[in-house]
Amino acid sequence: MERRFECTACGKCCYGWLPLSIDDALGHADRFPLFLQWTPVRQGGKSYDLAVELGLTIKLKNRKRAAVRIEPISYVPPDMPCPALRKDGLCAVHDAKPRRCRAMPLSGGRAENDQDDLLIPKADWACNTTSTAPVVYRDKKIVTREAFELERKQLMADADVLKPFAELMLDSIPSLRLDLTKLAQRPHGGCMILSFSTLVPRLAYVDIYALAAKQLPVMASFAKLTSETPKHADEHRRYTASAGEWRRILDGAP
Amino acid sequence: MTTTKCPCGSGILMRDCCGAILDGRTKAETAEAMMRARYTAHVVGDFDFVANTHAAEVKKTYNKSAAQAQAETMQWVGLEIMETVEGGAGDDEGVVTFGARFMQDGVLNMHRERSNFRRENGVWVYVDGKINPQIEPRRIEKVGRNAPCPCGSGKKYKKCCGA
Repeated sequence: MERRFECTACGKCCYGWLPLSIDDALGHADRFPLFLQWTPVRQGGKSYDLAVELGLTIKLKNRKRAAVRIEPISYVPPDMPCPALRKDGLCAVHDAKPRRCRAMPLSGGRAENDQDDLLIPKADWACNTTSTAPVVYRDKKIVTREAFELERKQLMADADVLKPFAELMLDSIPSLRLDLTKLAQRPHGGCMILSFSTLVPRLAYVDIYALAAKQLPVMASFAKLTSETPKHADEHRRYTASAGEWRRILDGAP
Repeated sequence: MTTTKCPCGSGILMRDCCGAILDGRTKAETAEAMMRARYTAHVVGDFDFVANTHAAEVKKTYNKSAAQAQAETMQWVGLEIMETVEGGAGDDEGVVTFGARFMQDGVLNMHRERSNFRRENGVWVYVDGKINPQIEPRRIEKVGRNAPCPCGSGKKYKKCCGA
């Protein structure tokens, strides 16, 4: 079986949450509202083994386990465009765009044999999947591999930082383990969105005050954008809390 | 600073206790002394000392500015050493379990950690730690049927509590 795919730069997929590498997050901290996404992946799922490699595992009932993936994300409401999406539908940071965007629609965070559904465009997307588009996936193997491999490599490198960080967090905050266990046992799963600042103590090369100076205006701007729409209440609460957190860090700057 | 008591809770003046280790007048002879000095360094905001007393592998991931920023939000209240395993003057490795109390957002918290220390070029350095270590599960030892009963009766176990 083959899947053909060609991007037409319609910009329709540039909405909502965007998983980022640590470097992408730091490189675009003046643009994206940064948070950490913790996602339990239940044992037996197609990408479970990969999730174990990239994250950590927690015990569930009945001797089962779940893997937990931890990723920085640009946390934008699903109906709102990426802050880097221009009005003409093109990317404002094309040359420096995140690895995730380069690998689209394939995902380095999914097993190679688990990419099929990603190659079926959503109803309003204008991707070319006709016979004029190149074959990108054949018999569960990726044909053009470069962007996929780069994303996978980046995920592996980030895992070296994110795994020990996540273990420390689970040890320090017992309720986090309980909440993740509950999420993993829910029929439809789910994820947790936590503060990005918790990761910074593990990133020796990051000046937290410079990062706070970039993130505070981004969070304040998204808090304003989401202040009047009831369906954005959750996002608004998180932006406001995060803005307060970055402000407190800036206030304590030497 | 010199005439105040040491924050590590030793009861000794700061200048004669951790202060002397922080300013390089003396060396921490034991892993516990290094642990106490590192706690005091957090209290007085000497993050260079904290950074310089990390093992090489920890230095790579230690973010001084983030530690400083975090310290701004909390106030250390006291240190309690719970257990020390090895880490003496003649050892090269040691484990120190401690609880450090701190106030944050008006709430009193406790940071509990079992820390591993190693001696590198004669200096104790922090290697890693397990936050909130689980208390050792109670060990249950089997008593042989012919062994003296653990209740102290002097009888064989099988003739006493084991009957």
